Amino acid sequence: MKETDVTIISVNLNKKLTMAYKDYHVIEDDFDYEDLLKYKKVIFFNVLNNLKDEELDKLFNFIRENNILFINYTNNMELVLRTSYLMIYNGNDILAEGPTLEILKNDKLIKRLGFDEPFIVDLSLLLKGYGLISEIYLDKESLKRALWK
Amino acid sequence: MEIKDVVNSYGIIGVIGSYKSTLDMDKKISELGVNNLVNALKMVELSKIDINTKLTDLSTSELLKVDLATKLHEDIIIIGSIYNSLIFKEREVMKKLLLKLHNDYNKKIVVIDNHVEVFFNLAKKILVLDDKEVIYETSDFYDSNLYKWVNTPRIIEFINYINKDKKILNNNTDIYELIKDIYRGVS
Repeated sequence: MKETDVTIISVNLNKKLTMAYKDYHVIEDDFDYEDLLKYKKVIFFNVLNNLKDEELDKLFNFIRENNILFINYTNNMELVLRTSYLMIYNGNDILAEGPTLEILKNDKLIKRLGFDEPFIVDLSLLLKGYGLISEIYLDKESLKRALWK
Repeated sequence: MEIKDVVNSYGIIGVIGSYKSTLDMDKKISELGVNNLVNALKMVELSKIDINTKLTDLSTSELLKVDLATKLHEDIIIIGSIYNSLIFKEREVMKKLLLKLHNDYNKKIVVIDNHVEVFFNLAKKILVLDDKEVIYETSDFYDSNLYKWVNTPRIIEFINYINKDKKILNNNTDIYELIKDIYRGVS
């Protein structure tokens, strides 16, 4: 596993999964930035899902500025795009892992397991399938430029 | 108007907010009795689970389904955290189950979630509460006031972004309808 910024998605999200990463502090409820500085290696266990985008921007900036290593366990596929590395679990088994976009490009695997793609990736993949664009875009500005050159 | 009145009028409503699913679950399970529990677990597609399993050993999705199973007999079912507890495919199954409970058994259902996507094709009304008081209500997913409290679903954000200067996309919540509009808009 690449130890900087990782998202883990799991067919069955269970806290027991966090036991594989014993040197990480597990955050599963309210937290403040002091906690992140104190532990330096943290697991967010399904706690970032309800944050607003502005709060997420602030949090991820803080994490990067302070070199905090983190794993984000989540069911929210939109959050996947905020980390560079993605791991997919089923129970205790790792089904796939690698750079986020590389894993997301395998949409057959993602959908077969019951996950959705992040919206912009899903839209790109579908539009690519219809021949309207030639690559996958990760933000709406680039996709708009590609569609309406 | 109180929430009870709104849900009685609309059948299934969405409420913006967070929800803890494990409150009193042990007590509710024991009150239900073994036979009723087994039947209820079947209804929420958890028939394979051993009924003696400890709640702490269940995954987040299993916990949510057990929570729903203990409430199936109630006239107004309050359920929440569908987005955070379930992966996409399970969310869709859960939504179909809630629709079935409403359509076939006339159950009134309150769905509490911070992700408006959960309410697509499910809730006819969305409420925002402050200390149990309704402070905002809408039936329109494209009502921008709603997104003072929660993130805008990405499909709505994208369509609004494109329509800022092109005005070619309809207010869809379905990606395949959006694709059709884009196809028409670029050709």
